[in-house]
Amino acid sequence: MTETFYEVLRRQGITRRSFIKFCSLTASSLGLGSTFVPKIAHALETKPRTPVIWLHGLECTCCSESFIRSAHPLTKDVVLSMLSLDYDDTLMAAAGHQAEAIIEEVKKKYKGNYIVAVEGNPPLNEDGMFCIHGGRPFVEVLKETCADAKAVISWGACASYGCVQAAKPNPTRATPVHQVISGKPIVRVPGCPPIAEVMTGVVTYMLTFDRIPELDRQGRPKMFYGQRIHDKCYRRPHFDAGQFVEQWDDDAARRGYCLYKMGCKGPTTYNACSTVRWNGGVSFPIQSGHGCIGCSEDGFWDKGSFYDRVTDIKQFGIESNADKVGGTAAAVVGAGIAVHAGLSALSRARINHSQENQQGGN
Amino acid sequence: MGAYETQGFKLDNSGKRMVVDPICRIEGHLRVEVNLDSNNVIRNAVSTGTMWRGLEVILKGRDPRDAWAFTERICGVCTGTHALTSVRAVEDALGIQIPENANTIRNLMQLNLYIHDHLVHFYHLHALDWVDVVSALSADPKRTSELAQSISNWPLSSPGYFRDLQNRLKKFVESGQLGPFMNGYWGNPAYKLPPEANLMAVAHYLEALDFQKEIVKVHTIFGGKNPHPNWLVGGVPCPINVHDTGAVGALNMERLNLVKSIIDRCKEFVEQVYIPDLLAIASFYKGWLYGGGLSSQNVLSYGDIPEKANDYSPANLLLPRGAIVGGDLKTVHPVDLKDPAQIQEFVSHSWYKYADESKGLHPFDGVTEPNYKPEGKNFKGTRTKIEQLDEEAKYSWLKAPRWKGHAMEVGCLSRMLLGYVQPKQYPFIKDTIDAVLKKLDVPVTALFSTLGRTAARGIETLYCADLQVRQFDKLMAAIKAGDTATANISKWDPATWPKQANGAGFTEAPRGALGHWIKIKDTKIDNYQCVVPTTWNGSPRDPKGQIGAFEASLMNTPLAKADQPLEILRTIHSFDPCLACSTH
Amino acid sequence: MTTHHAPSPTGVDDDAVARAPSLKSIYVYEAPVRLWHWVNALAIVVLAVSGYFIGSPPPSVPGEASDNFLFGYIRFAHFAAAYVFAVGFLARLYWGLVGNDHSRELFSIPVLTGAYWREIGAMLKWYAFLRPYPNRYVGHNPLARISMFFAIFLGGIFMLVTGFALYGEGAQAGHWSHTLFTSWVLPLFGQSQTLHTWHHLGMWMIVLFVMVHVYAAVREDIMGRQSMISTMLSGYRMFKK
Ligand code: HEM
Ligand code: HEM
Ligand code: NFV
Ligand code: SF4
Ligand code: SF4
Ligand code: F3S
Ligand SMILES: [Mg+2]
Repeated sequence: MTETFYEVLRRQGITRRSFIKFCSLTASSLGLGSTFVPKIAHALETKPRTPVIWLHGLECTCCSESFIRSAHPLTKDVVLSMLSLDYDDTLMAAAGHQAEAIIEEVKKKYKGNYIVAVEGNPPLNEDGMFCIHGGRPFVEVLKETCADAKAVISWGACASYGCVQAAKPNPTRATPVHQVISGKPIVRVPGCPPIAEVMTGVVTYMLTFDRIPELDRQGRPKMFYGQRIHDKCYRRPHFDAGQFVEQWDDDAARRGYCLYKMGCKGPTTYNACSTVRWNGGVSFPIQSGHGCIGCSEDGFWDKGSFYDRVTDIKQFGIESNADKVGGTAAAVVGAGIAVHAGLSALSRARINHSQENQQGGN
Repeated sequence: MGAYETQGFKLDNSGKRMVVDPICRIEGHLRVEVNLDSNNVIRNAVSTGTMWRGLEVILKGRDPRDAWAFTERICGVCTGTHALTSVRAVEDALGIQIPENANTIRNLMQLNLYIHDHLVHFYHLHALDWVDVVSALSADPKRTSELAQSISNWPLSSPGYFRDLQNRLKKFVESGQLGPFMNGYWGNPAYKLPPEANLMAVAHYLEALDFQKEIVKVHTIFGGKNPHPNWLVGGVPCPINVHDTGAVGALNMERLNLVKSIIDRCKEFVEQVYIPDLLAIASFYKGWLYGGGLSSQNVLSYGDIPEKANDYSPANLLLPRGAIVGGDLKTVHPVDLKDPAQIQEFVSHSWYKYADESKGLHPFDGVTEPNYKPEGKNFKGTRTKIEQLDEEAKYSWLKAPRWKGHAMEVGCLSRMLLGYVQPKQYPFIKDTIDAVLKKLDVPVTALFSTLGRTAARGIETLYCADLQVRQFDKLMAAIKAGDTATANISKWDPATWPKQANGAGFTEAPRGALGHWIKIKDTKIDNYQCVVPTTWNGSPRDPKGQIGAFEASLMNTPLAKADQPLEILRTIHSFDPCLACSTH
Repeated sequence: MTTHHAPSPTGVDDDAVARAPSLKSIYVYEAPVRLWHWVNALAIVVLAVSGYFIGSPPPSVPGEASDNFLFGYIRFAHFAAAYVFAVGFLARLYWGLVGNDHSRELFSIPVLTGAYWREIGAMLKWYAFLRPYPNRYVGHNPLARISMFFAIFLGGIFMLVTGFALYGEGAQAGHWSHTLFTSWVLPLFGQSQTLHTWHHLGMWMIVLFVMVHVYAAVREDIMGRQSMISTMLSGYRMFKK
């Protein structure tokens, strides 16, 4: 007998009554009338767990590592009861042909009804052979697997943006998932890695409400990526007060002042770290004394040193920052003005002098 | 070459070729090809790293103070070890001395990584090579309980506990949706555990999954998150404040208590669950002693966990340093990362280009130029559809590192061996190994095997759990004595740096000897080279045809079923391969 | 206007008066333009100074966080000046519609008029000391016009758009600045840090303009053939010689 979603909820102590309430909530949030409530209830009571195929491209597996750190829900409950993790290189028992066969089977059996979760990204240089899977370019496997999927989840900075392997000069042409997959809803869950509970939160949202979460223009779930670290940082009062850590391990650091001057990227980083926090809410980068490095932002590797507030510009071919470029330009222009003013005074004196001479000669 | 002899192994590629790709339950992308003789015994083994990201190329021209963050993303499984190696390399180059507390905190984070990484490896990446999940369904919960209580005081061991678990497992299996256990090699005769032991192991698979997320909280406290905590050139980013106003914004008594409670729980779990499980499982497999590979000949370790800050000499390292070659256990050779004749990388069989590929390059002069070229007379398939590789040509994204020309095995077995042969300095290692050998009633030579590697990992975890407690006590003693410094900022500003500087940093990563070599020029990275544990172990052949540790370990192993690679997985997994690390 | 005669001790100098050119003056800058000019100038100074400090904050202040709001005030000054700048910009746009011809010069450049480009050439020669005198211009001189068009009209729009997009990040979804700007500007620049960098660069672009502008105004006043600074005060352009 299949353990259904309903049974999972029941086993977790959810009563039948709140289950029905949950169904009607689902109905109304989907814009469906109350007549749909029994239908939704029926569907949840009987439907099998959604199969998930978790693929790995060029990555470091920290997204998987983060995922298994989830405290609520526990990873074991997610894997055993909420979804069916039918394929995941990192955890699955099978290998080689026996592993490959699973993808085929899921594709056939659950056409249009499985989720593809992608960790890492496909490189496109060397015909994709910087990441080889079963002797073939990973990008091919990715495309084939996504073809019959219901939705795609791009885990982490790698799948969402390219991450470290796509940092300049991106030797492998590592490419984010949405640039090679089209025609499927893609949820991007950036971070290097994303927070465990954000990952399981996104997955359980999709399973519970049977739809993808509301996304912002960059394809990220608004519920977790709608605000910056800085907007909810507990050090914000020190920021507003003008109290900054000036140097590592100074008195300000020991009092937990704002890390802005140490290059904190909290003001430019959209993520849930300052609220959800990490590893069951224990801490997050800023709380442990290091600035945010902006790890959930597109191209955060290429903005200059993590310790500079005013960030690097690579647009001009040289490496510099706005203040250096602007300051240099201002100095050059200032000097130019001074010279020009001097020449102007000289030339004016000369003209006056010659006029005087002319007139005096009359 | 066809058939030839190297390092005491007779390679013969004439039999039936078997390909396993992907190898799962590892980090990253690995392919293995073997030749089986008519008795299904492996007579030739080929290991191929099938990914490359180019971190060494990407690091050029960047700020050395940022390098830890880049290299940390080489791997999220051994998260932090590359970062630590990187800050050490930069500190070496610039002559930065770190405060005592910074060293202790780094040690705590490194030890914590070991414990987490080893535990997850044993239960979630390796266990299914020894444990038959399906067989657990037929176990008797009462007898399982008896078994569990006979080997440990761990409280979760009642018949009811195992019955509930078995029921959940039954329901799961009956659903027909087997998830990660789908298409496993269940029922293969190479599985030797009785159903009760299998059920107990499955229970601990799930308990360990719950517990591992607790372990890493030590990283979260000191580094803000895990995976990928934060590090700092010159120290650690977390300041200490236990007395004053604002202490809640730093490492304070509450944080330290949290660390303490976690490291105590780590010790408990390792002592009461991991080690008893390991011994119980091993006792059923001691007849299966394949997979020793290079371990009885050449092993290498850089050592780690400096007791005093800034002293990286062997005498100051709590994890042993040195090399053994040619199986001479009496001689521990000193290892020098900066000697151009010791560590060298070759690319004759790797998809990279050197000006002269008959020679190796020391990492200070290292070159990383990709050159994808599947070729050779035995190669089958096309450029984008590899059916069979030719190990006589280029065939892997891993380079081939050699120490004084030797292929070396690195990792927990190497470290434990080096500790075992230096009992004065490492009595804990010597005594624990002896106790384990006695308990299992096997000779020392049993260490040179797949099982030995797996046991060494457990023994090391026990050692690290103990060291973790001791390093914590040291931190508390220093704070009590009034030392709260965590960072040295005298060389933070690049304006204080010399025009040129070279440095080498090392750690013992969970998987073995890890080195980073940095050349700094005009405050930017001029060259950055990493030689990584899995690069040593997963190494392809070198110009002399010498094979690496993975390949050696598979040699002469019989398969119970020719179409099921269970034994291959078992032995390869015993190294805990990390391919993202190996190729970086 | 140069005289080499010593003035009569009586103060009467009929000779000089007869030789003097007649002073002509034309009303160029209507009151709203002048008012805007100085308000805008002040706003930009406040924006640039506060903006610089947002990028590179002053040394930390001691004491309770709740007793201090230094960085808050710096940012507040920036945002207050930003609103002044924005409202002024809109008002100035409106005046460009209803004001005199010169009030429109800021918003366009007569790219298709050959004469305009010839005058630019003439001005460049004047600044390169290749001409003894510049031509006379009633409105903006052609070089000033083109630099103002780019630095103040386009540059102003750039600073407003990027500035309010940054502002909307803090104000967050639902705030008009987020809806109107952040929602599309942020994806356009890719991410917030990049947006900050461009906004910051914009400051330097405007600083450069101001340096050159003030220098040119003072120099023209002294060396050119028409009044400058007083024109921006009284609205009347006076021509010398
Ligand atoms: C932040 C500083 C300033 C800014 C942003 C600024 C901007 C402008 C702008 C946009 C105009 C064109 C007005 C229009 O056509 O509507 C203008 C004209 C003018 N400004 Fe400024 N200004 C600044 C400071 C000054 C100062 C300090 C002076 C005097 C020393 C000055 C003197 C003038 C003059 C004389 C004109 C008329 C130029 C002409 O007709 O060619 N400005 N300024
Ligand atoms: C002449 C016009 C302006 C100049 C010179 C200017 C200059 C600056 C500078 C230099 C920064 C620091 C950027 C960084 O490094 O992060 C900044 C930040 C900012 N500016 Fe402006 N700005 C101008 C107009 C505006 C306008 C019209 C707005 C609209 C509200 C605005 C809003 C902001 C905001 C929100 C920030 C970020 C503040 C923060 O991060 O706390 N700016 N500006
Ligand atoms: N360095 C490193 Fe590693 C490797 N190999 C380490 O333990 O895993 Ni990703
Ligand atoms: S996004 Fe970051 S954390 Fe996730 S796999 Fe990529 S490098 Fe690792
Ligand atoms: S520490 Fe960073 S995120 Fe927090 S208030 Fe300061 S700048 Fe903002
Ligand atoms: S560095 Fe990453 S983990 Fe959060 S605080 Fe910043 S987004
Ligand atoms: Mg390397």
